[in-house]
Amino acid sequence: MNDLTLIRKNLFRKKLRAILLTLSILIAFLIFGVLGAFYKVWTSGGELAADDRLVTVNRINFTVSMPYAYWSRVQAIDGVRNVSHASWFGGYYQDPTQFVQTFAIDAESYLDAYPELVFPEGQREAFINTRTCLAVGEDLAAQYGWELGQRIPLLSNIWQKTDGTASWEFDICAIFDGNTDEYPANYAIFHYDYYNEALAFNQDQIGWMVINTTDPARNDEVARAIDGMFANSPAETETTTEAAFNEAFANQFGNIALILLFVVGSAFTTILIIVGFTMVTAINERTGEIAVMKTLGFPAPRIFRMVLAESVLLSLVGGLLGLGLAWLMISGVAEAAAAFLPGLALPAEVFLTGLGLAVLLGLLTGIVPAINAQRVKIVTALGKQ
Amino acid sequence: MFNQIGAVTMINLRSIPQRAGLSLATIVSIALVTGVLLGFLAMSNGFRATLQGTGSENVAVMLRAGSQAELNSGLSSEQVRLVEEAPGVARDADGTPLVSGELYVIVDGTKRSSGTEANLPLRGVGEQALRLREGFQIVEGRMYEPGTNELVVGASVLREFSGFDLGETIRLGPNEWVVVGIFSTGGSVFESEIWADISVIQNLYNRGTGVQSIRARLTSPEAIEDLRAWEEEEPRVNLDVETETEFFADQAGGTAVLIEFIGWPLAITMAIGALAGAWNTMYSSVDTRMREIATLRAIGFSGFAAAVGTMVESLVLAAIGGLVGALATYLLFNGVSASTLGSGFTQVVFSFAVTGGSVIAGMVMAVVIGFFGGLVPAIRSAYVPLLTVHRSE
Repeated sequence: MNDLTLIRKNLFRKKLRAILLTLSILIAFLIFGVLGAFYKVWTSGGELAADDRLVTVNRINFTVSMPYAYWSRVQAIDGVRNVSHASWFGGYYQDPTQFVQTFAIDAESYLDAYPELVFPEGQREAFINTRTCLAVGEDLAAQYGWELGQRIPLLSNIWQKTDGTASWEFDICAIFDGNTDEYPANYAIFHYDYYNEALAFNQDQIGWMVINTTDPARNDEVARAIDGMFANSPAETETTTEAAFNEAFANQFGNIALILLFVVGSAFTTILIIVGFTMVTAINERTGEIAVMKTLGFPAPRIFRMVLAESVLLSLVGGLLGLGLAWLMISGVAEAAAAFLPGLALPAEVFLTGLGLAVLLGLLTGIVPAINAQRVKIVTALGKQ
Repeated sequence: MFNQIGAVTMINLRSIPQRAGLSLATIVSIALVTGVLLGFLAMSNGFRATLQGTGSENVAVMLRAGSQAELNSGLSSEQVRLVEEAPGVARDADGTPLVSGELYVIVDGTKRSSGTEANLPLRGVGEQALRLREGFQIVEGRMYEPGTNELVVGASVLREFSGFDLGETIRLGPNEWVVVGIFSTGGSVFESEIWADISVIQNLYNRGTGVQSIRARLTSPEAIEDLRAWEEEEPRVNLDVETETEFFADQAGGTAVLIEFIGWPLAITMAIGALAGAWNTMYSSVDTRMREIATLRAIGFSGFAAAVGTMVESLVLAAIGGLVGALATYLLFNGVSASTLGSGFTQVVFSFAVTGGSVIAGMVMAVVIGFFGGLVPAIRSAYVPLLTVHRSE
């Protein structure tokens, strides 16, 4: 009988207790895994951002537009490789509750700015060359069951056409996807000109600009040059990196990170206390046995290691089961949630952090009982009985 | 019978200190689960209270049909004039209709909590606006002078966002604006707004004489139907007509429900973990008292009494945990101010509210955990074999 067998037998000598402890550890790691995955998707805006991409918005707020003429003026700035622009359409399909994320863009420069967008053979060209084309992200197309070649009307809850309606007819001539699973393909884009020419108001205005710099090291310099160019004009601008812009937007919803930290912290405090006290009790019950082992010649450090290994094993079993269950659950809902939480998955780093936490939990809950076990005095322990 | 149950229960409860560690673990774990649930409910209740505390039955809100939010809407001054003459709209003693055409644009504010920029609503209003908000008062400074770059700021904005203190200047476009007053509307959502003179903002945003929303005082809550009927018949207007109560209730729905939809499953999942912990504790409790229970049974106590004793111990630990959790949540979170992006695409400032109803929900959950955690150990203690008393450890 080697040490491992002994550790395993000790752990499961009271089966119900071992199962209950495993269950409570499992729950904590399940919560950790699921919330970790959501958090990764939530903050992915910052990570998916390209280093060389800047966003220029109206200084008052990003919902306030700026003149179309800004687009060509920024192209002339040194250090700028590509400039594109986009405008929020406020689109919906058939019913106002069927919200569709849609942007009016300049096709060629936009696709250049976002190399992440992947088009099937020929569809990229079809989009660029078709005035009425709507390029739809794969997740969005799946949500509404749209197919290539379909003609659909999209309504805007903001804009109106000169004919008094708010409905634009589009031909779906391209369905794009992201180059990674994390990239959200849950929106649609179409030609700015097709939209602008019909507008009843706010014509020749754009929502924001996307700038690619020639070198990320020149980002600050380019941002200052752009904002300087429009200073003291009716529409002053504010230029930040795409990552900073996305982060600020995520923060508008509140301090999600702090809330998640509270929840995960509570879950781990719970198991730390439950498992910790139970392990102390469990080892106390075995004082006599440990004394016998010592009498048989087991050295104190070996007993110390065995008790510690027992709690680490328990915590790893519970942790792995919990993370496994989290993975199953997330894989299960990922498809259904693709439209609003694209790229939901249990990332490797969440899994590895979880494993690390499991080992840490095992060590923390095992250290006191291990020291107690190591210190057991044969005479007193056996004398007790 | 009852004597037996009482005696066994007292023995159980008095011996809790002998199992202090595990009993404390149960209390703390149940307290944490209750705390998480109450935290989420406090968030959701606080948000809902702010929006639902805002609407008035006597005020109609009108937006361009299909626009869904003030931000998206756009209406001409002609439509405002038509509404002023519409049926159901109240007038003051001088015969002036109580109708307010308002602009709603977004400006950047810096969140104190994160230091990042967030959307704040800047409302352009005329003099009628005040008469359509009950409880409006300037708590510091003064009202803006019409026609100037002055603005007044809601008390909630001041709490959550930096740079809006009295006397500060704010740059909007090429112009500087001065904060000349702080206003309160008794905790309603308008306190999350910044107000300025409508004509100045129409200029700044090139809106001509257009507005985005129209508010009108109704002659009575029922008059909303007259207004709706008029809107359908009148070809020159195309409006969505709602009472202010309905308008804000719609806005409260989404976010508050979402918070609860996250909070409940999380709390229930954690409750399963705590349940396992409580079960484990009660199991140990029965385990260490095997001989004691067997002795009681031997001298004539019923198995039922032993079971009740165990169950009561579990319920008491759970109830203490629930109370500790509720109290801690109340002390830590009640009244804490926070803000999130509301459905108007702007920040809504609200205060966490730990309500009586949610405390009851939390206590029920705690006691349920205690019940199921104690159930199997209680049954087990009823069937302790009498021979255990003789067995030497």
